[in-house]
Amino acid sequence: MTGSFRFGTPQILFGLAVAILVIFVAVPVLLIFFNALWVNGSLNIADMVKVLSERETYKALINSLILASGVTVTGTIVGTFFAWLVTRTDLPYKGAMKVLFLVPFMLPSFIGALAWKMLLSPRSGYINRFFIETLGFPGPIFDIYTYQGIILVETMYLFPFVFIQVCGALERMDPTLEESARISGADLFTITRKITIPLVAPSILSGALLIMLYSMAHFGTVAMLGIEAGIYNIPTLIYERIHQSAGSFAAIRTGTVLSTVLVIAAALIIWLQNRVLSKGRYQIIAGKSFRPTEIRLRGLRLPLLAFCIAYIGFTIVLPTTTIFLVGGLKTYGLPIAVENMTFDNYHHILFEWDLTRDAIWNSIGLGLAAALITMFAGVIISYVIVKMKVPGKGLLEFLGMLPFSVPGSVIALGVILAWSGKYGINIYNTIWIILVAYIARYMAFALKANSAALEQVHDSLVEAARASGATMWQALRDIVIPLVRPGMVAAFFLIFLPALRELTVSVLLYGPTTRTIGVAIYTLNEDGETVYAAAMAGVALIIIVTAEVVVKRVFKIEK
Amino acid sequence: MKIRHLLASALLLVGFQALPAQAQEKLYVYTSMKESLIGQLKTAFAAKHPEVKLDYQSAGAGKLMAKIAAERESGKILADVLWTSEVPDFYQLQEQGVLQPYVPKEIKALVNPLPDYDGTFTAVRLGTLGIAYNTRLIKTAPKTWADVQGAAFKGAYGIANPALSGTAYMSVSLLVRQFGWGYMEALRANGAKMGKGSGQVVDDTASGDLLGSLAVDYITLDKVDKGATLALVYPPEMLVIPSPITIFKGSPNAEAAKKFVDFVLSKEGQTIIAEEGTLPVRSDVQVPDRYPLPPVADAMKRAIPVDYKSMMAEKEATIKKFTDIMQK
Repeated sequence: MTGSFRFGTPQILFGLAVAILVIFVAVPVLLIFFNALWVNGSLNIADMVKVLSERETYKALINSLILASGVTVTGTIVGTFFAWLVTRTDLPYKGAMKVLFLVPFMLPSFIGALAWKMLLSPRSGYINRFFIETLGFPGPIFDIYTYQGIILVETMYLFPFVFIQVCGALERMDPTLEESARISGADLFTITRKITIPLVAPSILSGALLIMLYSMAHFGTVAMLGIEAGIYNIPTLIYERIHQSAGSFAAIRTGTVLSTVLVIAAALIIWLQNRVLSKGRYQIIAGKSFRPTEIRLRGLRLPLLAFCIAYIGFTIVLPTTTIFLVGGLKTYGLPIAVENMTFDNYHHILFEWDLTRDAIWNSIGLGLAAALITMFAGVIISYVIVKMKVPGKGLLEFLGMLPFSVPGSVIALGVILAWSGKYGINIYNTIWIILVAYIARYMAFALKANSAALEQVHDSLVEAARASGATMWQALRDIVIPLVRPGMVAAFFLIFLPALRELTVSVLLYGPTTRTIGVAIYTLNEDGETVYAAAMAGVALIIIVTAEVVVKRVFKIEK
Repeated sequence: MKIRHLLASALLLVGFQALPAQAQEKLYVYTSMKESLIGQLKTAFAAKHPEVKLDYQSAGAGKLMAKIAAERESGKILADVLWTSEVPDFYQLQEQGVLQPYVPKEIKALVNPLPDYDGTFTAVRLGTLGIAYNTRLIKTAPKTWADVQGAAFKGAYGIANPALSGTAYMSVSLLVRQFGWGYMEALRANGAKMGKGSGQVVDDTASGDLLGSLAVDYITLDKVDKGATLALVYPPEMLVIPSPITIFKGSPNAEAAKKFVDFVLSKEGQTIIAEEGTLPVRSDVQVPDRYPLPPVADAMKRAIPVDYKSMMAEKEATIKKFTDIMQK
């Protein structure tokens, strides 16, 4: 193959991979940097500094930092504590508890924010009203429209990042290390301090950085709870600017400058995470000789179990129930009582209202289309990266992983710059612009899943097929694709499920008939249609949970 | 196999989205009217004109104008019809020459509150704003605009963001014209807040997050109908704000647009508007008695006079000054 420039399957594959990545990923992101750094055709750093030194922009930067750090600290503490509890202690029902602690991952955090607004807004939140009206408190016990409120809500839905990582590390940890310390006479406290914590520290840190990465670029919660109190972070400020300044170039430019800062911060976090992981990995190599000793909680067993149940009740059951109940209220502000309940809201959004019905179908259609396209593109690109010996594939890998570190608002902004007519194609205001953005956003997921699957397919299989006279295409179709199918299916669901509840990207791109589920809930809440927003959120929860459950079933069968 | 099925169904789904509605005229309406009003009009319009597929974008006037500006930038305005309450916007669009004049069929039956009427845009309703307050928490009804500056409403009176809401902008502008900026400063000194949209401040009043707000008639009355503990009162100096409707020049759906304009101004359309709790522009349509709305003639007499042209010039400065006061 090498040397001869025959235009065969490998060349087509390579060309296709490059084209997909350049068109969908590289161009939008590059346009952001270009528009941030270049003014009227010349490099202008001073102007960028000027935008950043405006009061509103640097305040948003500082807010992003404050919120992300706060959520990281609290989320890490909560995640580590619960991980330790369900893996290393004799807590009753810890298997079930472990599953329950992962539920918040399913729930979109902006729906959580909506629920907490209803529970803890200072005068009208149901919890605050209970304390003021029934228990006679002089004022609200907690105001959700504050930094603390936002951090609290984000923590509830982001702590699983640390929880999963730490659980994994604690389970994989070589128990002989702890055993030898014990045999040498160390007590439990010393073992924990000198052996366990240092061993899981990289996992804690890497989970913490994931929380930080996510929280910094997070739109939903801050938009629901912060804007009212004047708390903006970078993504909400970008949204506000794009929507209010008539799409003027100044607004888009501010957006690109903020995006650049966000991308740099995200890159820094990812770099840190890679360093932490590469340092820590060799220390936790799995050696499943026997299970590590469980710490006996003794008298604390039941209180801690009660605490876990209370935590789950408080962060999962209470908000979800609130959503469904408020969604059934005749109008917002009425007490939750049978005579005030109605099914009209649910009926209206499911059967009568185009806005919400469109939103549901748009989200499902977008999720399926993005997942399918990205899945197939992911196979092609991963194949080039993992199996083919072509120059420049490192660049492909970098391009493919780029969106992973590029926050959603930035991708959306890049897509607006690239696809709204300046370069010949105008899909602004159509469903296609959201699809294009989703493909860019979720490409990294598909690459990860497919690369992992492809690495397990030994080259000798393809070589054998080729030696027996199969063409490259035949070898791919008959050997490779069937073998990587589990990876492809995994990629499909890794994309379909998050796309179903996506908000950050679509909120910047939606048009009159192209709302997504997330956008519908967000705009209804913003327009003061709280009961409809809640009803829609309830419907969304049912769709999301059903999809998760169905997907898990199907996925298992495929395996 | 499974993947192939999924592929097929997904393509079908996406395909359906992209398919044009079968042999129908299309119509995009950008409006600041809320779902309770525009949703009903859409249903009735669809029954009368099944050949037209109407889609609307309901959002605050500020957001809609931003969207239209962005669409003009990209070369294609998606909206065929614009219907908001931010009257200066219409004069501005008229000056820029992007509006298509159309004199509605039943013009003779209409009350026209707009000076220099030439058919470029026609008032569809007379929006009124009063003080909405939560009857669960406030026992004495406010009577004048100054009453919300008192201790009863301390820290809990809201006005929608005039950058987002057309009615809020018009109201702020009119109240300032009548009472001076001192009125807004006194409100702020009493802890008044700037909220988001015109719907949101009313929702917050219904929930009790706010005790009172500067509120649009039908948004408040719709919630009262549904059982909210709200009441709407009108101080003597009334805020009466026409909501004009207009067609964009070059609209590919101009015929459907004309049908819609005629429909909302017809007796049927105006009756829906009156039933929802806002003043119609036809004298042959009455507002139901259960609403506290004064008759049109009375409202016009009590209204604070409006000078649209000067409003247009002062718009940005007014919004900025108001925002500065409220965020101090």
